[in-house]
Amino acid sequence: MKKWGEIGLGVVTSIGGFLEVGSIATSVQGGANFGFRLAWALALGTICLAILMEMTGRLAAVSGRSYVDLLREHMGIRFFIIPLVAVIVPSFLVLVSEIGGVAIGLQMATGIAFRWWAIPIALVGWALLWRGTFSLVEQGTALLGLVSIVFLVGALKLHPQWSAVGAGLLPTAPSHDGAKYWYLAVSILGASISPYLYLFYSAGALEDDWNIEYLAVNRVTAGVGNLFGGGLALMVLVCAAVVFLPRHIEVDAYEQIALVLATPLGRTGFALFLITLCITCFGATVEISLSGAYLFAQGFGWPWSENLRPSQDSRFATTYSLLILLASVPIAFGADPLKLTNISMVLSAASLPVTVIPLLALMNDRRVMTSHANGWLGNTALVLISLLALVLFVAAIPLQILGGG
Amino acid sequence: MKDGLDLRHDVQDAQLVDRRHENIGRCDALLLELRENAPPRIAAMLIGGPARSERIGRWMTALRRLVPGHTRAPEGGVSRIPFAAVRSIGNTIELDVLRDDLPSEHLEQWLARNVICRIPGAESKKESKS
Amino acid sequence: MSREVALHHLLGRAVLDPHGRKVGRVEELRAEIELHEHGNDYVVTEFHIGSFGAVESLAGPYFARMLLHHLGRLVPYRGHVIPWNRMDLRDPRHPRTLDTLEQLRAEQDRA
Repeated sequence: MKKWGEIGLGVVTSIGGFLEVGSIATSVQGGANFGFRLAWALALGTICLAILMEMTGRLAAVSGRSYVDLLREHMGIRFFIIPLVAVIVPSFLVLVSEIGGVAIGLQMATGIAFRWWAIPIALVGWALLWRGTFSLVEQGTALLGLVSIVFLVGALKLHPQWSAVGAGLLPTAPSHDGAKYWYLAVSILGASISPYLYLFYSAGALEDDWNIEYLAVNRVTAGVGNLFGGGLALMVLVCAAVVFLPRHIEVDAYEQIALVLATPLGRTGFALFLITLCITCFGATVEISLSGAYLFAQGFGWPWSENLRPSQDSRFATTYSLLILLASVPIAFGADPLKLTNISMVLSAASLPVTVIPLLALMNDRRVMTSHANGWLGNTALVLISLLALVLFVAAIPLQILGGG
Repeated sequence: MKDGLDLRHDVQDAQLVDRRHENIGRCDALLLELRENAPPRIAAMLIGGPARSERIGRWMTALRRLVPGHTRAPEGGVSRIPFAAVRSIGNTIELDVLRDDLPSEHLEQWLARNVICRIPGAESKKESKS
Repeated sequence: MSREVALHHLLGRAVLDPHGRKVGRVEELRAEIELHEHGNDYVVTEFHIGSFGAVESLAGPYFARMLLHHLGRLVPYRGHVIPWNRMDLRDPRHPRTLDTLEQLRAEQDRA
C-alpha cells in the first residue's frame, strides 16, 4: 500500500525535523542544572504536541481546511486578531532564535562572528522558500536533519544510568533552586509545544492534499514521529546531564553546548554537533517563516501555497520574505541568541491557551468533523492540555523573572 | 438536513473564491437590506481591509489610515459584491466574479507587479511532486 | 423605503420585548432562498436569540449546546427562534420582538 510509504516518510520527517534551537537549548540547560529530573517535562511536552498535531491534522484531513482557516471563520475577525497576534509575536522571536542558532553554528565552524552570518542565512532560507516546493522545503530539511540522531549515539556512549533516566520521566519536586527548576520546566514545555508546530502541520496536510484516507497516516506521523523526535530531545538532555551536571558547569553560551557531543565523540562529535545545529535550526527557520505566512494568508483569505509561483500569491510570498529577512536583523545587530531562545520559549508557552482552547470547539463541531469528531478520550486529553496551557499562561512570565538567568 | 443558511456560521468570514476557484479573500462584512413588510434580504458582501478594520474596532481603522499604500486603491480597497453573484456555498463560497476586477485585490496585484516580479524566479514554474 | 445594515451590527445586540424586558442577544440569523423569475434572493427567515450571546459567538452552536448539556442546571440558558415577521427592526441598533416574553416562552414550551 502506498500509504505505508507515506507513513514511513512522515515518521522520518518528524524525527529529522523535531530538534531545533529551542529544544536543544532548553534540554541542555535542563540536563545541566537538574540532571535527568526534568525528563518528565520533555515527555509531557512531547505527548501534548503529539495530541495537538494529531487533532489539527485530523481537522485538515476531514474538513479539507486548515486550523487557521477554521479559526477565522469560527471566531470572526474581531476575535481572530487575538490568536493572530498571540502566535505571531512568540513565533517571530523563535524565528530570530533559530537564525541565531545557525549563525552560532557557523561561527563555531568558521571563526567568523555570528552577526555576519545572519543575513546570508536569511537569504539562503528565502531562496529555498522562493523556488522550492512544499515537499522540498519540508522533507528536504527534515531528511538532512536526521543527522541529529548523533545525539542518540552520544548518549549511548556516555553510559548514563538508564534507570535514573527512567525515574526522571516521573515528575518530582526539586530539592534546590525551585524557581529555576520550574522556569526550566516551563521553557522545555514551551519548546516542545510551540503553536507554530501544529499550525504548520495543519497547513502542511493541505499542501500534501490529505483527505479522509490519511487519518491513519496522520495518527502515526503525529504520534510515532513525535515520540521518536521527543526521544531524541531526551538524548540531548541525557548528554547534557552526564557532561555538565557532575562538573557543575553553568551553561550560558552555545559554545559550551558543543561539549555535549564533543565529550563522548571527540572532534567528530564536535563537527556533527555543529552540522546538526545548523541544519535543524535552518529547517526551523524556513518552517516558521512559512507558518507565519500561512497564518496571515489563511486568516485573511489570500491565495496561498508553497507550490504556487510567488507571482501567483504575492501577499503570501511577501509575508514569508518579510518575516525571514526581518528576523535576521536582531542577530545581525548582535543580540544574544541563547538569551533570545530562552525568552522566546517562555513566551511560546504563555501563548498556548489561544490556540489550544478553540480546538475544543472545533474538534467537536460535527458539521466540520462529521463522524471523526473527538470522543470522550480526545476531549479529556484536550481539556487537560487546556488546563496546562492556562497554568503556563499564568506562571510562565513570573517564572522567567524569578528563575531565568 | 437543513436547507437554510446560517449567516454568521456559514457566510460571515467564509473563504471566497472566484470563477476560477482562486482565493479572493473572506466575507469581511455581510450587508442586509431591511425592507417594509418583507423579510430582510441579503444584499451584498464586502471584502477588504477597511471592512475588517471596522469590525475590529475604531482603533484599527485609525491605525489603517497611517498606512499610505491603501489610499491609492480604487474604492478604498473594498469590494462590494452583490449576493446574487453567489454560485455555491460549501467549504468556500463560489462567486461569479473575476479576481482581476476586484478593488480588494489591489494590494495583491500591486505587490505582484512592483515587487515580486522584479525578483528573479517569481514567474518560474516550480517543480512539484505529484 | 429600505435600509442597509451590516450583519455584524445585528449580531450580539440585546433584544427587548415590547415591555422593554431583555429577551436575549442576537446569536444567529437563518436565511433561505426565495425563487423569483429574475433571479434568486436569500432572505432572512429566523432570528436566533439566546442568553449565551458571546459564548455562542466564540464557541459555536455545537459546542455551546454540548456545554449546555453538561452544565445545563448550573447555567440558565434560554434560546428563542423568532420568525422575521415577529421582529421589529425599525431601529437595527435596538431590535425588539413583537411578542412579549410570556408569549415567547409559551411558544417555546409548546415546541
